[in-house]
Amino acid sequence: MAKPTSLQTNIARLSDLKDKVGHVPFIRRNSFVYGSLSLIVIYALFLLPSKGSPETIDLGRIVLFCLLLLIWAFIIFTDELKSEKLKTVVVFSVFIIAAWLYYRYSTARWGEMGYLFFNLEMVQKAWPTLVEGFWTTLLLAVCAAIMSTIIGLLLAIFRSFDNAVLNFFIIAYVDFFRAMPIIVLMMLIYYALPFMGIRLSAIVSGILALGLNSSAYVSEIFRAGFLSIKKGQIEASRALGLNPIQTMRFVILPQAFRVVIPPLVGNYVASAKDTALASSISIIELLKAGLSQKSLLANPSPLIFVTALYLVMFVPLTRFSGYLEKRMKESQRQVRL
Amino acid sequence: MNDTGTMIEVVDLHKRFKDLHVLKGISTSVKQSEVVAVMGPSGSGKSTFLRCMNRLEEPSSGHIYIEGIDIMAPYIDINRVRTEIGMVFQSFNLFPHLTSIENIKLAPISVRKISDKEATDRGMALLDKVGLADKANVYPEQLSGGQQQRVAIARALAMQPQIMFFDEPTSALDPEMIGEVLDVMRNMAREGMTMMVVSHEMGFIKEAADRILFLVDGLIVEDGTPDQIFNYSKNERTLEFLSKII
Repeated sequence: MAKPTSLQTNIARLSDLKDKVGHVPFIRRNSFVYGSLSLIVIYALFLLPSKGSPETIDLGRIVLFCLLLLIWAFIIFTDELKSEKLKTVVVFSVFIIAAWLYYRYSTARWGEMGYLFFNLEMVQKAWPTLVEGFWTTLLLAVCAAIMSTIIGLLLAIFRSFDNAVLNFFIIAYVDFFRAMPIIVLMMLIYYALPFMGIRLSAIVSGILALGLNSSAYVSEIFRAGFLSIKKGQIEASRALGLNPIQTMRFVILPQAFRVVIPPLVGNYVASAKDTALASSISIIELLKAGLSQKSLLANPSPLIFVTALYLVMFVPLTRFSGYLEKRMKESQRQVRL
Repeated sequence: MNDTGTMIEVVDLHKRFKDLHVLKGISTSVKQSEVVAVMGPSGSGKSTFLRCMNRLEEPSSGHIYIEGIDIMAPYIDINRVRTEIGMVFQSFNLFPHLTSIENIKLAPISVRKISDKEATDRGMALLDKVGLADKANVYPEQLSGGQQQRVAIARALAMQPQIMFFDEPTSALDPEMIGEVLDVMRNMAREGMTMMVVSHEMGFIKEAADRILFLVDGLIVEDGTPDQIFNYSKNERTLEFLSKII
């Protein structure tokens, strides 16, 4: 067998350890691991004080238990030969046991908390309103995202023409809509525009305001994406005879796409959370639905459930963007120089 | 204005970058099928000179005539002019999101508007010519430097230009790959392509160039055949430069 280099561990197998030291140390043996585990379990079942806030003496028993558990976990963790899988299981178990201990001994009023914040009966009552709010929020978020992407991309493309006049207007647009509070924008569109003869529904006003605000950020994201492309690419494209539009379409955009996905998705998520502001122009979106149900039922559970619904909306989006990025990685490559 | 056979005519070309006066009055001409090498010390303006001629850099003043057409005129469609000039860069500049054949096909299809099939056939023939027919569906990342540069040459040739510019085509290559690129360039010269090459490859220049323009500090200090420049030059700057590199 080849002599292991200094980069390799000298102890590849338990038998190596045995050969090296002469015997397997007691604490490394599997028998120790399982034996001590069963002792800990017995301790937990019989020797720990019962539920409820512990007396001072009992506190000692709990602390001792924690110490033993931690030492046991530490022994396993520092063992080179134990598998990563086992160590992961041990770490998770320690966290779960810690949570269980907290649950058992803290003076939290778990029952009451459950009734208030995790009350399924209340959630059922609130359900229809919450669902309506969910779809409204989704509609607002999706429409605003589409609108902001189209406008933002166009702005970034126009900006790339480097025309002084065009740049002035674009920069003014971006500065204005980034600074403008969304609520004010929504109110202006919904309440003030009718005086100029433009009467838009609440939903459309909401989408418009969200879209305009988000488009300013999107245009900066695309602009940064364009700047990230090496100048030589554009030169080669122009030298071949492609005009600026063709260069943008065939050379710049495909390459920029991969770069802009993370910040773009971040922008969509932030914008989707801003939909909550639409309640200021009397749109029943998800958050407002949750708040109103909370008042109606005098129980905050619907609000907690709203959080779950927001997660349902966002996590697939962020996972999808991760998937997109991964797929881009396979089909696009950077030239190494 | 247009002598038969004069491909490029440059008259008193100046280029300034803010305070830096890079080209201080270049005047020269290039005939059809001529292979002109541009040499000179670093910073003399060789690359800038080349890039001015297809307006990748905008000249500050002067006149440039490509095939008799004044390319500085306001009504000129510079994209049309650029289709007549193929350019090969020091850093290859292949499009990383496209395969070799897609890189080559892109301009003929978008600019010359030929069919996909015809562009692919033409592209494959060019890849074959540069010796890379088997790398048609490979991405630039997977190619060596020499291979990338040859694909870049094929990409430029796909537009069937009248003139080819080379801006230090082998300067970014490992020594063992320089030969394969120079071979392709030698063949092009032999087939009668009008070429302007900025390079330090003395061997190639001596063998393939019809003329050498020696540039120092933004001016042409010598203009002659390789024999004249390398063997009979009396110019102090030329001799100084040559002594450093031979």
